[in-house]
Amino acid sequence: MSDLRVIALHGELDIARRDEARFALRADGDVGAVLLDFADVTYADSTILSTLLVFTREMGIRGVPVAILVGTPQLARIVQYAGLSDILPVFNERSDALTHLSEGRR
Amino acid sequence: MKVGSSARDGPSGSLIVTALTLVVLIASALSAGLYLRTRVVSLLHVSETIRSARSSAFGMLRGQLDEETGIRGFVASGNREYLEPYYAALPMVPADASNLRKRIAELGIPEGPALVDRASALNRAWLALAAGTAEGKRPADGGVLQARAKTMVDGFRAAMANLDTALDRRYVAADADLYAAIERTGLLFGGLILLVAAGTILFGTSQNRAARALEASRALSEEQRREAMRLRIAYETEKHIADTLQDGFAQRPLPTHPSLRFSAMYVPAEEENKVGGDWYDALELPGDRVLFVIGDVAGHGIEAAVGMNRARQALMSSALVDTDPADILTRVNAELLRNSAPMVTGVVGYADAQTYEFVYASAGHPPPILIEPGRAPRMLEIGGVPLGVVPSGAFRTRRVQSVPGAILVLYTDGAVEHSRDVIEGERTLLAAIGSIDTDRATEPAAAIHRAVFAGRTAGDDVAILTVGFSVAPSTGMRVSADRANAEFAARSASPQGAIESAQPSLRIIRRKAS
Repeated sequence: MSDLRVIALHGELDIARRDEARFALRADGDVGAVLLDFADVTYADSTILSTLLVFTREMGIRGVPVAILVGTPQLARIVQYAGLSDILPVFNERSDALTHLSEGRR
Repeated sequence: MKVGSSARDGPSGSLIVTALTLVVLIASALSAGLYLRTRVVSLLHVSETIRSARSSAFGMLRGQLDEETGIRGFVASGNREYLEPYYAALPMVPADASNLRKRIAELGIPEGPALVDRASALNRAWLALAAGTAEGKRPADGGVLQARAKTMVDGFRAAMANLDTALDRRYVAADADLYAAIERTGLLFGGLILLVAAGTILFGTSQNRAARALEASRALSEEQRREAMRLRIAYETEKHIADTLQDGFAQRPLPTHPSLRFSAMYVPAEEENKVGGDWYDALELPGDRVLFVIGDVAGHGIEAAVGMNRARQALMSSALVDTDPADILTRVNAELLRNSAPMVTGVVGYADAQTYEFVYASAGHPPPILIEPGRAPRMLEIGGVPLGVVPSGAFRTRRVQSVPGAILVLYTDGAVEHSRDVIEGERTLLAAIGSIDTDRATEPAAAIHRAVFAGRTAGDDVAILTVGFSVAPSTGMRVSADRANAEFAARSASPQGAIESAQPSLRIIRRKAS
C-alpha cells in the first residue's frame, strides 16, 4: 500500500529557502502520489522552480503522479511563466487535485 | 761493494723524485679537486639563490593574480568572500618583492632591480585603481577602469617575465663557469699525463664528487624548471577562469542594422550575493533577420556566471545550426541536460526586417512585451519549460506580425519580481513601458528601467533588451509602412485583447494519468 504524500510550503519561496524546499521536495520512500500544496504561496524564484522541476522529473521517472495546488494569482502567473502547466496538472481547488490523484493511483 | 752502494743510491734518488712528483701531483690533484668543489658549491649557491628569487617572483605573480581574481570575483558576484584572497595577498606582494630585491642583488643581475621596482610600482598603481571596488563602490566606468587595469597588469607580467629570463641567463652563466673550470683543470692535468698515476685516483674521486654534485645541481635545476612549469600552468589556468568569467560579463556590442534598432540595459543587483546570470545577445542572421536572446540562469554568484556562459555558448552555436526558435531551444535543452547545468529560462527569436515579423520561442521566461504605435503595450504568449531540467521542453515557435515603429521588449524576472508580487510587477512594467515616448527615446531599454525603478533599488539583476523596426525613413517607404500599419489594424481583432495575457489566468489541466 502506498500513500498520498502532501507537501505543503507557504509564503514567499526564494533562494534563502532553497534547502527547506529541497528537503521537502526529496524523492524518497514508497509514495503512491504527491500533492504539492502551494495554496498560500505568493512567490517562488527560479531556484525554487528548478528544485520543483527536478522533483517532478524524478517522480515522473518513478511513475508517481504529482499534482500542484496553486491558490494565489501571483504563483499562478509564475507557474505559467515556467510552463509548468504544460508538464504538470495544476489545480486551484484542493478537491479537484485530490480527485485527480486518487484516480491516477488506481 | 761501492758499485753496489752507488747502485742503491740511484733508485733511492729517483724514489725521492718520484715521491716528490707524487706529492706535487697529489697536492695539485687535491687543490684541483678543491677548486672544482668550490666552483660546484658556488654553482649550487647561485642555483639556490635563483630558486629563492624565482619563488619570490612567483609569489609576486600569485599575489597579483589573487588580488585580481578577488576583485573580479567580487565585481562578478558581489560576494565579499571573493575578497579574502585579495586581502591575504596585500601584504605578501611587498614581502616577496623585498626578498626578490635581496636575491637579485646577491646574484648581481644588472637589470633586476629596475624590473622589480617597475613591477612593484605597477602593482601599487593597480591596487590604487582597484581599492574603490574592494570598498564596495562599483566602478563608475567599468570599461575604462578595466582597460587601464589591463594595461597595468600586462606591464606587471611583462616585467616579471623579463626578470624570469634574466634569472635563466644567470643560471646558464654559472653553469658555463663550472664547465670552463672543469676544462681548465683537465688541460692542466693533460700536460702531466705521465705523472698522474697516483693523482688520478684522488683527482678521479674529486671529479666523481664534482660530477655527482653537478648531477645534483642539474637535477635541482630540472626540478626548478618543472616547478616553474607547474606554477605557470596553475597560473594560466586560474587566469583563464578569471578571464572567462570576466568575458562572460562583458556584453557583446549590439548589431547595427539599417532598419532595426536595438537597445539594452543590464543592471546588477544592488545587494551583495544577489548578482545572477542574466544576459542578452543579438546577432545578425542572413536574410535581413537579427537573432535576439534574453536569458536568466537560476541562482547567483560564480555558479550562475559559469552556467550563463555555457547556456550562452550553447544558444549561439545552436542558432547557427537551427533557424526555428523552438528547434534552437530543444537543442540547447538537450545540451544543458547532458552537462547537468543549472536551470535557465529564456526567450530566443528573430526580427525579420522585410516582413516586420517577430518569431520567437520561450523557455519558462516572463512574456515579451510588444509596443506598437497607437496601441497599448501588450504581453505576448509564452509557454515552454525552463532549459536544462526536463527532457521534453514543449517549446513552440510563435510568429507575431507587427508594424514599422514597433518595439519588442525582452526582460528578465528582476523587472517584474522586484516587489515579490508578479501581478503588481507586470502592471508596473506595462505602465512604465506605456509611459515611454518610443518615437523620441533613443535608448528605450534605459528609459524603461528608469520608469520602473524610479527611486527604488532592484533586489535582483535586471536585463532589458529592445528590438525595434525603424519607422521607414524615405517617403516611398513611409507609404509602405503606413500600409503595413493599416493592414495590421485591420487584422487585429479586438483592441481590448491587447493586454489580455497580462491578466492572471489559471490554466487548469485535468490530465488523467494512464
